[in-house]
Formats: sequence, C-alpha cells, structure tokens
Amino acid sequence: MNGVQLHQVLEKNIGLLIFGILFVSAIGGLVQVLPSLFQESLKTASPNTKVYSPLELVGRDVYIREGCSTCHSQQIRPLVAEVERYGTYSRAGEFVYDRPFLWGSKRTGPDLHRIGGKYSNEWHRIHLINPRDVVQNSIMPAYPWLAERAANQDGDIKNKLQVLVKLGHPYTDDDIESSGSMLEGQSELDALIAYLQVLGTAYAKGEQ
Amino acid sequence: MPDPAKKLSVEIYSDRVVTTLVMFSVIWAVIGMLAGVYVAAEMVWPALNFDQSWLSFGRLRTFHTNVVIFGFGVSALMGTAYYSVQRTSHVRLYASNLAWFTCWAWQIAILAGGISLLMGLTTSKEYAELEWPFDIAITLVWVCFAIVFFGTIAKRRIKQIYISNWFYGGLIIVIAMLHIVNNLALPVTLTKSYSLYAGAQDAIVQWWYGHNAVGFLLTGGFLGMMYYFLPKQAERPIWSYKLSIVAFWAFTYSYIWAGPHHLHFNAIPEWVQNLGMVMSLVLLAPSWASMVNGIMTVSSAWEKLRSDPSLKFIVLALAFYGLATFEGPMLAIKSVNIISHFTEWTIGHVHSGALGWNAMITYGTFYFLVPRLVGGNLYSVRLANIHFWLALAGTILYIVALWGAGVSQGVLWLSLDDLGELRYSFTEVMAAMKPYYLLRLVAGILFFIGTLLMIYNFFKTIVGRRTIAVRPPIESLAVA
Amino acid sequence: MQSAFSPRLMLRLLFQPNIVFKELAELEPSSIAVFFKVALWFGVLPPLFAYIGASKFGWRLGTVEPLSLQKEILLSISVAYFIALLFGFISAAIVSRWMANTYGARQSLGIHFAMITVVGAPIAVGSIVHLYPNVFINVLVLIPALLWSMYLLYRGLPIVLHTTPERGMLMSSSLIGYLLVAFVSLLGITVFLWINGIGPLMGV
Repeated sequence: MNGVQLHQVLEKNIGLLIFGILFVSAIGGLVQVLPSLFQESLKTASPNTKVYSPLELVGRDVYIREGCSTCHSQQIRPLVAEVERYGTYSRAGEFVYDRPFLWGSKRTGPDLHRIGGKYSNEWHRIHLINPRDVVQNSIMPAYPWLAERAANQDGDIKNKLQVLVKLGHPYTDDDIESSGSMLEGQSELDALIAYLQVLGTAYAKGEQ
Repeated sequence: MPDPAKKLSVEIYSDRVVTTLVMFSVIWAVIGMLAGVYVAAEMVWPALNFDQSWLSFGRLRTFHTNVVIFGFGVSALMGTAYYSVQRTSHVRLYASNLAWFTCWAWQIAILAGGISLLMGLTTSKEYAELEWPFDIAITLVWVCFAIVFFGTIAKRRIKQIYISNWFYGGLIIVIAMLHIVNNLALPVTLTKSYSLYAGAQDAIVQWWYGHNAVGFLLTGGFLGMMYYFLPKQAERPIWSYKLSIVAFWAFTYSYIWAGPHHLHFNAIPEWVQNLGMVMSLVLLAPSWASMVNGIMTVSSAWEKLRSDPSLKFIVLALAFYGLATFEGPMLAIKSVNIISHFTEWTIGHVHSGALGWNAMITYGTFYFLVPRLVGGNLYSVRLANIHFWLALAGTILYIVALWGAGVSQGVLWLSLDDLGELRYSFTEVMAAMKPYYLLRLVAGILFFIGTLLMIYNFFKTIVGRRTIAVRPPIESLAVA
Repeated sequence: MQSAFSPRLMLRLLFQPNIVFKELAELEPSSIAVFFKVALWFGVLPPLFAYIGASKFGWRLGTVEPLSLQKEILLSISVAYFIALLFGFISAAIVSRWMANTYGARQSLGIHFAMITVVGAPIAVGSIVHLYPNVFINVLVLIPALLWSMYLLYRGLPIVLHTTPERGMLMSSSLIGYLLVAFVSLLGITVFLWINGIGPLMGV
C-alpha cells in the first residue's frame, strides 16, 4: 500500500484520521523535546547559582506581571559583540530555578541577563519611576505604582515557596517560615530591584 | 424507517452560530488591532501609558496578541469550520447546542482573559500567557469544539472527508496537545502558578508550543479556510488533490520540529538548534505546495470572478503567505538569525503572516460569507475595494518599515570599530528606531481604518436581516 | 504617437500613465531592445547612486556615526547590487511570462520586459535618494515610489498584457508575491554574506 492509498483509507474513517494526525504530529515532539526534559546538563545548577530569596522572587513575579520580558531578553548569545556589550554568555545551568524562563524574544530595550551589579539601587529606583530622568531617549514606560505597593501585598509568599519546594527548589523550612518577615517594610520596587541586582551574578565580571 | 422526505423538512444547517462567531471575530479584530495601534504609538511616545499599569506596554502588548490570535483568529476559524464541515458532510452540526456553548464560552473566556492580562495576571510564556484557570476553561471549550466538529464528520452523508476538514482537524488536535503540555503548572493561588518546567527546558517546551501555535493555528487552520472557501468561490475543485494530500501530511509531520529556531545560539543543546534549522528549511516545501494549489485553483477559474471583492483578498493573502512561509525558513538559518534575532525583523515577519495572510484571507472569506449567511448583497463593493487597498498599503508599509528597523538593529548592535570595540551604544541604536516606529504606526492605522470600513459594511449588510435557513442537498438525504 | 519603447515613453509615464499603457498595448518590442535601450540604464541608477552616496558620506543607519567602507569593498557591493537588480528584473520578466499562460495574457517576452521596466521605473528613479545614504530617508522616499510601482502594476498589467481586469488583478497579486520573496531573499543573502565576513566588521 503506498502513501496515497493509505490516505484514502484514512480520509474515510474519522477515527483513523484523528489518530493519524496525532501520531504524525507527535513524532517531532517525542524525538526532539522529550529527550531534553531528561537531559541532566539542562537541570544542573551552575556553581554559584542559588534559589531566589523571597524578596527576589517577589521581584521576579513583578517582572513577569508587568511584562518586562516583552521588551527585554535575558539571554546573552556567545557572539563577540554580545559578550562585549552585556557580559559573558548565558549558560543553561544559570536558569534552573527560573519558572517560567524569561529569555524573551525581543530587545526593544537591552538584554538584562547580567544587569546585576551594573547600576546602583538608587539608579534603578529613579529609572523605574521615570526612565527618562536617567536615560534621555528611553522609550520605556514609567512604573510609579511599584513604589506604592507593598512587597507582601498579595500575602502568598509562603505558598509560593511551598509550591517551588514541590518542584524541587531547595528551600528549607526555616526559609519558608521566615519568608513573610523578609518582605516586611519593602515595596514592590525594592523587590524588583533586588531581583535585577541578583540577575546573572553567578558568573563574576569578566569570568569566561 | 424514517422517511427521508420528512427528515428533509426539518433538517437545516446550523448557521446562526456561524453568523454569531463571524460577528464576534470582527469585533475582536477591531479591539485587538486598536490595542496594536496603541502599543505601536507607545513605542514612539512612551508617555501614552499615562502611568496606568493596565495601559503600559508590557500588559497591552500581550492583550493585543491574545485578542487578535484567540479572539479574532480562533472565532473566525471556529465559525468557518462549523460552516464548512456541514457543507462538506451534507449534514447539520452534531450537537448544535454544544456549538452554541463553544461560541459563547469562547467569547467569555477571551473577554475575561483579556481583562486578566490587563490586570497583570500572566505566565509570560508567549501566546500562552493566560493563567491556569483560563487554561482549563480553554481546554474544556476546545474539547467541546472537537466533539461538535468530529461528531459532525462522524455522521456525514458523504464518504470522503474533504481536505479542509483535515486541516481544521489538525488544528483542533495539535493545538490541544500543545496547549495542555506547555501549560502544565502548579498553582499557587487562583491567579498565580509556577511552570512545571524550568529554565532551558521550559524554553524548549514553550517554543515547541509557540512555533506550532503559529503552525497549526495561524498556518494550518487558515489553510483549512483556504481549502474550502477558495474552491467554493472559484466554483472549481481544488487544482491538485494529490498535492493537497502530500502537502497536508508533510506539513503535519515537519512543522512540529521547527520550534528551536526561536532559540538559536541560546543556552540549549546545539543538536536541538541544528535539527530545528534543518526542519524549518524542509518546511518550505509543504507550505508552498498549498500556495501553489490555491493559486492554480483560482487561476483556472477567472471567468467566475464577479465584482465580488473577496477573491482579491484571498489571492493577495496567498501572495503574503508565500512571503511569510519563505521568510520564516530563511530567518531560521543560523547566519541570518544572528542578525534578525531579538530585532524588529521578527515582528515584521510575524505581521507579514498576521496581516498579509491571516487577516486578509479572513476578510476575503467574510466578504463572501456574510452576505450569503443573511441572504442579501454586500452593502458596498466600493468600500470593500477601498478596504483592499488600505490593507495592501498598510501591510507593505508595515513590513518594509520593520525590515529597515530590524536590519539596522541587527547590524548596529554587532558592529565593531577597527579596534574591535563596540561601535554604537544601545541607546543610540534605540533612538535611531523612532522614525521606523512612526512608520509602523502609520501602517497600523491604515490597516485598522480598513478593518473599520469592513465592520461598517457588514453592519449595513446585516441590519434588519436574519440568518437564512439552508438545507443539505436532497440527494444526500435520500441515500442516508 | 510613439512607435517604440523608449526612455521618452518612460518619462511620460509620470504624467499620463494610462495613455502610455494604451500605447504599450499596441507595441511588440523585442526584449533585446527593451533591455539595452531602457531597462539597463534604469538598472544602473541605484547602484551608481549608492556608490556615490556611500563613498562620499558613508552609510547612516540612523545613528550619529556613519558606517564607512573601503572603496574596493564598496565597489564590489555596488556591482553585486547591480547584478542582484538585473537578476530580479530578468527573473521577474520571465516569471511574468510564465504566468501569462495561466492568466491568458500576451506571451512575447519583450512586452513582459517592458512591463517590468515600467513597474520598476519609479523605484529606480527614486533611488536617487541613495545619494544621501541615510536608511530612514531612503525608506521614506522609496515607500511612495514602491506604492506608485504597485499602482502601475495593478493598473497597467491588464491593459498592456491584453487580459481581463479580473485576471490582471490575480496576475498582479501573484507577481507581488514573487517580488516580495525575491526581495526578502536578497535581504537574506546580504545578511548571510555580512555574517560570513563580507561587508562591515561585525563581532560574531
């Protein structure tokens, strides 16, 4: 039976057609995507990569909420110019605690993977409240509301850590217990800055 | 034995649900494109967010993509699938009440989902941003969609399952698989969850989803639309049946592999990238096979063309489809991708597909469908022709502006001077984009005005009319 | 009345396109004549302007500091540009003739050369903006030229190639599809060459 004849059977039997489509379309995923889910090197943390502190985690979730990743990538490609501009290239092991990943697909603004430590907290504060106060031509939106919202506003930090523990992040019971107090008196702006300052710091400046 | 003649007197196609879906689709087009125009304006004048969180770029951009893809696109696909599956099976929709449920539940999901995105509830995974309660709701509606669609085919009175139904079927099955796997997550609260996958693995799964949402929804689903409505309008059978078979299976097999070209030079295994690149190139063949099939079908039937503007849109849509499906594999070549990745070129490429192919073929189909659904003539052919020119000019301008922007970004970011130092700062390059962003805004406005003309045209066509009752052909009832 | 396809006919295109189309419809030019008497000279314009502009001012991709290239590289890029345009022109004419069969249009290659020359003319003339090599200014000038070209294509094709307006419409859209693909290929090839070391210095 050649292919066309096989198809002539399928196109008269809806059950077989459904199965055929499912089978044919699943092959690619099974061969290409599934193995990478079992590849150890993709889930082994780089030497200095740590889980996010409660404050950093809240900051990261603010980053997600505001859609920062629609304009900023977190992925430095191993190209001369890119390493020169942003720092050493990104390694898979640096992202093992990133749920979801935030590599992005567009650089309307610069890459942020190694933004940590590049600017002072004060710079970030001014920049996030009104970017044009420090970068004249910036087209980034201003985020004044972040300063007015408390970091523990949603009150779900313990749940968050517990869920992440279930997913294999090494938080201790103490970490979870003390998480609430670590957000005390902090704003979402502080949280976001804490997150930005830790980004990409697993590799020291200049380290290859 | 039930008397076939008696059955004939009661059975009519369920077309009112089609009309409703088409209307919703058009409304979402207007809302989604307005959001698109607004975010384009924000890229020129960032102060336009007025310090409102829900108006800021990061949230509104996500709203734009979701509303146009899932509101405009999926409503159109659902409506046209329901319309064509009845006519290619010579039978009324299976469980037409369930079809009404999918129609309304989908609109409510898009409305509530859109609002949730503006509130900042997002997973941030592109085109899968909606949080987990919506993911479950979408899955349920999708299963009902599948029941109605495949149920109708199951009780068909024609032996062969027509080509358009394979593509619509592929859309339903593959999107279900992708949607479920990619959205697996552990909920924290009702509005927040963490992905089951982390880092590089999450990236691989996400782009397997992201690329194939484009593949099976925006390409395959709309090919289903093309394979039914184009031969219908040309009043000719499809040019080559054999070519459509080969194209369908090759398309279904090879598309799924191409996702990793979104992650070239990223921290994922190199073999995954290379395989993604090779399969992206292979993909050109089945993609173009369907284009050739479509073009040759209309070309042999020119004398059937009336003043009906819809074929103009469909043929132009095929031209842009040809561009988009050629440009895609080209951008998947690593040496080209180095320049284009992370730049506006990608956005331009997406829009040559989204505006040039998806929107235009939908417009063409709707210009054909709406007057027939309500049994009247289109209110104004002249307005539709103006719409055609606005859509063409808007799309070309959009693509050209972002080719300019994208190539400039790509080159300037990587340029070194004689000492091997970076030649341009990031802010310099960013500031240089302003004129292109302005052009893109103009392009978007042109396209948007065209869409407004269309909705006005439809409103005048429909007002005071009802969906007419159409029966399946008598012969097929007799054999049933 | 003009009796041949000439540069003068092209000039009148700007003011009386419809009359020119009707005249063209009566002509049966040879492809050689069209090519050497008119098309070649139009085709030479963009690379020439680009060469002069780039060697005098350097390319400005919108930023402060222009990108200057060595004379020899510039020359080879201009020559490559010319060859690409020639390829685009000739291939479009051949594709157009190939399509003519399907759309019931005239078959002689010469008239297809003439039609593509007509369509390409606004862009070739518009390329004078290459003299000021700022990408944005170029885009700004070339887009209206491009739209004018498209207008000429849709408007003129059915008249010049003796086919019905409906079929002319279909054929024009098909040609636009081909031209878009040809253009994006050119873009792709250029970028590919840059990345592989021909052209500006890039850190890859």
